[in-house]
This record gives sequence, structure tokens and C-alpha cells, in this order.
Amino acid sequence: MFLKVKLPWNVVIPAENLDPKGLILQRSIVLHLLDDFACRKATKDLGYFLAVMTLESIGEGKVRQNTGEVLFPVVFSGITFKIFRGEILEGTVHKILKHGVFLRCGPIENIYLSCTKMPDYRYMQAESPVFLSDKHPKIEKDVVVRFIVIGTKWLEAEREFQALVSLEGDFLGPVSE
Amino acid sequence: MSGEEEENAAELKIGDEFLKAKCLMNCEVALILEHKYEQLQKTSDDPMNQVSQVFEKSLQYVKRFSRYKNPDAVRQVREILSRYQLAEFELCVLGNLCPETVEEAIAMVPSIKYFYSIIKCGHPHTRGRAHDDEAIEKMLNDLSLIKKFE
Repeated sequence: MFLKVKLPWNVVIPAENLDPKGLILQRSIVLHLLDDFACRKATKDLGYFLAVMTLESIGEGKVRQNTGEVLFPVVFSGITFKIFRGEILEGTVHKILKHGVFLRCGPIENIYLSCTKMPDYRYMQAESPVFLSDKHPKIEKDVVVRFIVIGTKWLEAEREFQALVSLEGDFLGPVSE
Repeated sequence: MSGEEEENAAELKIGDEFLKAKCLMNCEVALILEHKYEQLQKTSDDPMNQVSQVFEKSLQYVKRFSRYKNPDAVRQVREILSRYQLAEFELCVLGNLCPETVEEAIAMVPSIKYFYSIIKCGHPHTRGRAHDDEAIEKMLNDLSLIKKFE
């Protein structure tokens, strides 16, 4: 789910970017914020950071004794993407393995659908591998699949989320566009 | 796997901060990100180089998975769904997946069933399931009308 969130953030501005005229200061705060935001990529609580929408407020700057940098506490609103257990989403198949498929959904690439969670489907080794079913459309690369999230995991080192998903449920499976 | 054992979006258990957070439908995110990208195109020769990977992947995703493209239609979808006192999360799941039948809507957002039963209890005259389905059906009809006239 895409979320609109309000986030407090600390922006550190090097002394040389400070200017008595507020406008340039505001500009460098925004630029730093955008950089930080893109670098941070994601957090466990809020999910992936997509974009900054508006800068809501800039608090009073505090000078750092050692470096002369000034730290400004700011509040801004932005868009994030977080995946929830129990959520139903649509994604695109990008890799097919013998034991399941990997899907892409929003900024997340590691969405795993195990063959044990694909009732009635069986793996078929062909020029391009595919999962076939007698009752449902086949699952191959680039097919859009509607699934339910059964587990999520946050990888701190990579700053990435992984998810396990399933097709067990009504109205889940490949979607014709 | 998940840290919060309790989390289950199907029952609308997604934590208070997210329940109150404003959710966005894919089509709304598409409008916002496309606008941002257009602004970048004006100031940079290579705008794709200016955005993060998260931005790029998300833009591709919402472009493909938006049911409504026209900004007016996007606004109307939120307006119509807002009349049904849904949680933000439920509203966006419905707007994203556009279920065609009542059964599909309940399968996609199981919590709307609980919601309608809360209303039911609040009424002096007990409203049966048929009535609840009627309300959901009307909502789906309204949505499909927007799609038709887009």
C-alpha cells in the first residue's frame, strides 16, 4: 500500500551553505532532504521512500560545536510504500524457478510465491519455464498475478523488504489485463 | 516472519499509525509521481538519472497498475468511495483492484463485512446481509460508471 506520511527529519547543512537570506537556506534544506531521503531508501516502520511532497515546517537550527554544521529539525510529508501481511496486491512475474516464482510489486522485487502456495499448478520445463494448471491461466514471465501476502521480512543490512505470498483464496491468481 | 504477530490487513489489523495514515491509490500515486517526473524533465537532460531506484520502479508499477488514468476520474473514485465510511486502507484496496462483484469485493477486503455488521448492530431495525451486499453492490456500480465514462 502506498502511504502519505508526515515525517520528522534532521537535516544537517554545512556552514558554507548557510546564507543570511532565508531563501537560499530553505533551498539547501530541501536539497539535502531530497538527497537524504533517496539514500535512506526504506525503513522497517514506514517502508520504501518514494518522494517528498511538501516541507511542512523547519525548526530552529542548532550549531554543531565541532564542525560548524547546523542541524535543522524539519517536518515534511512524503509518499512511502509498505507491504502488510493479509494485504491483497497485484504484481508481475519476473523469474520462474522450479520451486516457485518471484514477483515484482511497487519497489519490491523479492516477492516469493512458492509452488506449495499455488494450488493446482505444476512446473513445466520448456524453453522458458512455466507453471501450468488445468483450471487457471498459465503463470509465466511478465504475467500479472493477484496474491495475498502471508509474511513479510525486513532485511536491515540491505534495507529491503521480502515477502512471501500465496494464491490460496478466492479471486487470486493470474489477471488478464 | 513479521515482527508484529498480530498484523493482518484482512482484518484491518495494521497498527494504529497506519490505520490513521492516509493511504493512496495506485492511480493517485501515478499522478503525483508523473508530475514530479515532468518537473524534473524541465530542469534536467537525463531525468531518470536524477531519481532513486525506488522512485523509478514505483513509477513503472503505478503506471501499469492504475485502473483510472484521467485526473478527474481519479478524484471521483476517491469521492465516491469516501461516501461509504471505509477505512483509508479499504478504500485504496477497492480503488486499486476494482472488484466486479460483491463476492470479489468481500474476498479482496474481508474487513468490509465486519464494518457493515457494526452498522447493522447500531440500527434499531436489524439489517440483514442482503442489505449489506446491496450497499457494496451500489458502490461497485458507481465505480464501474466512472470507468465507463472516463
